[in-house]
This record gives sequence, C-alpha cells and structure tokens, in this order.
Amino acid sequence: MSRHVTIDPITRLEGHGKIDILLNDSGGVDRAYFQVPEVRGFERFAQGRPAEDMPQITPRICGVCPMAHHMAATKTLDNLYHVDPPVSARKIREMVYSTFYVEDHALHFFFLGGPDFVVGPTAPKAERNILGVLGKVGKEVGLEVIGVRKQLRELITLASGKVIHPVFGLPGGVSKVLTKDDQQKFIAGAKHAVEFGKFCLKAFDDLVLKNKEYVDLITSDGYTHKTYYMGLVDKNNKINFYDGDLRVVDPDGKEYVKFPAGKYLDHIAEHVEPWSFMKFSYLKNVGWKGFSDGPQSGIMAVAPLARLNAAAGMATPIAQEAYEKYFSTLGGKPVHFTLATHWARLIELVYAAERMLELANDPDILNPDVRTIPTATPDEGIGVVEAPRGTLFHHYKTDARGIITQANLIVATQNNSARISLSVDKAARTLIKNGKADDGILNMVEMAFRAYDPCNGCATHALPGKMPLVVRIYDADHQLVQEIRRD
Amino acid sequence: MKPLVIGLGNDLMGDDAIGILAARSLKEQVATRADVVESALHGVALLDIFIGYRRAIIIDAIHTGTRPPGSILDIDPATLEATVSPSPHFSGLPELQTIARELGLDFPKDVRIVAVEVSGAFEIGRPISPAVAEALVPLVERVKRLLADWEKKPETEAS
Repeated sequence: MSRHVTIDPITRLEGHGKIDILLNDSGGVDRAYFQVPEVRGFERFAQGRPAEDMPQITPRICGVCPMAHHMAATKTLDNLYHVDPPVSARKIREMVYSTFYVEDHALHFFFLGGPDFVVGPTAPKAERNILGVLGKVGKEVGLEVIGVRKQLRELITLASGKVIHPVFGLPGGVSKVLTKDDQQKFIAGAKHAVEFGKFCLKAFDDLVLKNKEYVDLITSDGYTHKTYYMGLVDKNNKINFYDGDLRVVDPDGKEYVKFPAGKYLDHIAEHVEPWSFMKFSYLKNVGWKGFSDGPQSGIMAVAPLARLNAAAGMATPIAQEAYEKYFSTLGGKPVHFTLATHWARLIELVYAAERMLELANDPDILNPDVRTIPTATPDEGIGVVEAPRGTLFHHYKTDARGIITQANLIVATQNNSARISLSVDKAARTLIKNGKADDGILNMVEMAFRAYDPCNGCATHALPGKMPLVVRIYDADHQLVQEIRRD
Repeated sequence: MKPLVIGLGNDLMGDDAIGILAARSLKEQVATRADVVESALHGVALLDIFIGYRRAIIIDAIHTGTRPPGSILDIDPATLEATVSPSPHFSGLPELQTIARELGLDFPKDVRIVAVEVSGAFEIGRPISPAVAEALVPLVERVKRLLADWEKKPETEAS
C-alpha cells in the first residue's frame, strides 16, 4: 500500500494550494502533485448576467491581477459583439496594460524573487524575506520600488478609473479620451519606468549573474523540465502581452503550432485527475502522457520563462539586448530552468516600460475616436491576454440579448499547473528518501513556488493571512509518522 | 487628521464580503469623520493605502474555526505573528509595519483590527451566510465606537 505525504501551504481555503506526495512501499516517491487554486463557481455565477458586466466582475475575482481579467474580459466582449476597436483605443489599452505590467513585475522581483536571489539561496531563513532584500539592496532601492509603483498606479487610475476594479475597457473601445496633459504624465511615468527597468537588469547582473553559485543553482537539474512553452506573439513573433497569436514551441525550441485565441479549444485540453478538483492544461494534439516532460508529453508552461522561449525576440531595443544576453548566458533556446523565470520577468519589465513609452509618444492615443459602437447581435466571444503569470483565456456564450448562457475561464496558474506538479515531484524525489522528508523540501518547493508565483489571488485573503507550509508523512496505516512545518 | 478605515475582502465570495459590506455601510455613516476604503488587495500591495495616516482600523474576515461564525473580535495587532510565506500575497500586517519602519514611511502608529469569524465556505457567487450577515450592524457599531474613542483622544496621545 502506498504512503502519503501532504504539504499544505494553505490559508483557509479548502483544497487550495495543497501538495500530495504518495510514497511507495520502499519509502521512495511514487508520485507528487500540487493542487493550485482554481476559479471555482465562476461559470454558474456568470450565467444569467449581462456579458457587459464581465470586465467589472471578473477583476473582482482576483485582487492580484485585476487588470489582466479586466483586459481579457474586454477583449472577449469585442469578439462577442463582433466589433473592432479603433486604433486609438487599442493603443490606449495596450499602454495602460504595459503600465500595469511594469508595476506588477517590479513587485514580484523585489518582494518575491528577492529573497532567493538578492539575499541568496543559502542565506539563513530569517534573512530570506523582504527585509533581507532591503538590507542588501539598500533602503533607497526599496523606496524607489515603492515610488515607481505608486506613480504607475496613479497613471492606471488616471486612464481607467480604478486600479483595482477598472472601469475602462468597453466592447469596441475604452471609456475615456486622453488629454495632452494625461499624455505628458504617461510619458514621464514611462521614462521613469524605463530607467527603473535598466536599474533592475543591472541589479540582477551584479547580484546574481556575477555569483557563480547562483547561476549554478538556476541551471541545476532539480529545477529543469523540458516542456513545451506557450505565449502571445505579434506578427513578427515578438512577445506581446495584449494581443496577437498564441505560439507554442517544442522542447527543442522549434515552433510547434501558432493559432489565434478563438481556436484555443482545438489546441488546449484540460486533464482531470480523480484526486484533484483542479484541472491541468496540456497540448491536446501532443496528448496527455502523465506527469512527465519531453517532446512526447503535452505538458506546457506559460508565464515569463515560457514567453521568452515561445517568442522570436522582444519588440523593443533594450529588452532585445537583454533577451540575447539571457539566452547566450543560459546555453541557448529554449531555457528549461524554472528559476530563470525571475530573470525573464525583468526582461519583460523592461519591454513593458519601453512599450509604454512608445505608445505614450504615439499621437494616436490622443485621437478622440476611442470607441466603435457595437451593432451586431452577440453570440460567442473568446479573448486572451498574457497575464503576468501567464496566458489567460475568457470565453463567453450569450443569448441574443447578451445574457451569458455559458462561461469559461482558463487562468494562468491552471495553464502552468502540470509543470508546477513536475517541479514538486522532482523536489520530492530529490529530497525524500526512505520515507523521510528532508527539511530542504520546504525550501525547494518554495523556490519553485516563487518562480511560478502560482496565483492564490483568486482565493480570499482573510486573516490571519498566513500561508504555512506543512509536510506530513503517513505510513501505510495512515498514521502520522513525521511532520515538518513552517508557519 | 482623519483616520483610515479599510474594509478588506471579496464581495463575490460568500462570507469574505463582510469587510467590504461594513466599509460600504460606514462610508455613508462616517464620511466626515474617517476616510473609508474598500479593498480586495492583500499583502504588500496594501502598503500604499496606509501611508500618510496616523490611525487606521482594518475590518476583515477571520477563520479560526474555534468560534461561531458571526463572532466579532478585536485583534491586537501586536499578537499577530510575522508571516513567513512562500507568496507575498499573504504578507501580513506585521510585515507591512516592518517594511514601513525600515523605509521610514509614514505608516499609522495606531492600528486596530476588527474581524468577524466566518464559516470558511468560499466560492464565487456564494451568498454571505446568515450568521455573518447578522454581524454587520454590530460590526459597524464597533467601528463607530472606536472612531468615537479616538475623537475624544488627541492624536498625540494615541501615538
């Protein structure tokens, strides 16, 4: 009979963020799974509501990336109402979305990746937190991170009403015309963001790349999985967060398929396991071959690591230079190292800042024609954006009045969930021997967590607001034999 | 200076709405006496909201499983442990206070937490449970009493 190890990084949400590790009779790991939160109940909730409410409702699902849901919902409405927004609206949307990206990625690098790389993977646990990061990079940098985020969030508010619950995207356009004064503020904010991005890349260079120990860790086998990668690309196959086609590359980095969002059901399927309420996205035409990597397995990844692999480059100069350095340093394309996600995130931050500046300087954003009024009868709409944590799909079907009859969301974390399970499985195999889990498993799982940043934002955040990790090992009779915990 | 009252939660997810509902009610009742904010954010992202205030009241849901749903608790922030979490989404108040102190930010010196024990059932579209809904009025009254106490006491004494 197999034995059971549970790692439970839960707040108070039943079944959320739970890790199950099954041991075999000899005390080795049979298999290990990570269950990430999924958006439960959304489909039923959406039925019977006007589709037009979705850009306001879906951001409220998630306090972490409201703008990504707002934008995905807005694009889904364009598709649902068969309407093309005018060029000014498309550019304003992308500019605002780029602004959101810079502030979100900045938060994550310093507050999330920082403990592992700025402070260092071997630093004492007590220092591996944001205070340790501030101690290492200096208070000025901490204030700069807070300052630049504040400025960018004010710009998002300027354009969209609210950062948290934006009232900005409408089917066929946006709700507000920008003034010259608004434009100047965006230009100033974008310039600040570009300088900040350059600083981040230099900090990564100094603190991480010049330290062989860190680079060895990034490229170590424990954090390597040779999977497929998916991301949105523009017509030149360069990364785009707001729009484009989905491009998938195989584990050798060759284009496997490219398709528009509307065809997602032809390419992405959801695997279900009896032990989990969550679904695992995989490439339908490669097939589900269990929790294994390699070209025969349809497991794919999304988010920064995947986007850099899935694209042919970056559309802006500083980001492109960083992109080339990234691949030359890490041994060419594709990069399979999960921990490289932190570096990829910074390259994306620079791209978002440069793109924001390009769009802020574009005279089209001042064009007052910001909306095409929909006239067609709605039926079905599919929209996609790259959320900071990966590809996000919204899909609604409605009746002729625009009332939702069916709705589906595939969130970024679900698209990454199979690969996250691979990482947990590998950590378990490396660190559980003879039925005993080494304390290091917590570190290893946490490091992978921080790279993927599985988004628990769809969950609630009630007090006490903790996310303890608990590893429990049970013997064949389901008796607890060992517990390791971090509260 | 007006204090900050911040209601935390998610009004789409059952009992997690209680902090938001309280903030909405307070917005109408105490607008001249406090800045009332509702937020679905958590962790480090909340930092900005607190900056510049001397006093703040946080209204939130809590799930200890040890009290009946609807129980109202005053939580002493000093008793909250610092969070060591694999995700910054779950950074708690003590960590925010420490970051603010380290960076010399103007974080409220006096922070009160009023929480409502909830049932722990969260799902999009789930209605708030009757026991927690009944706590709304006394919860709002509790916050108003805290505000009234502060009004009697000058800020300098409070901090």
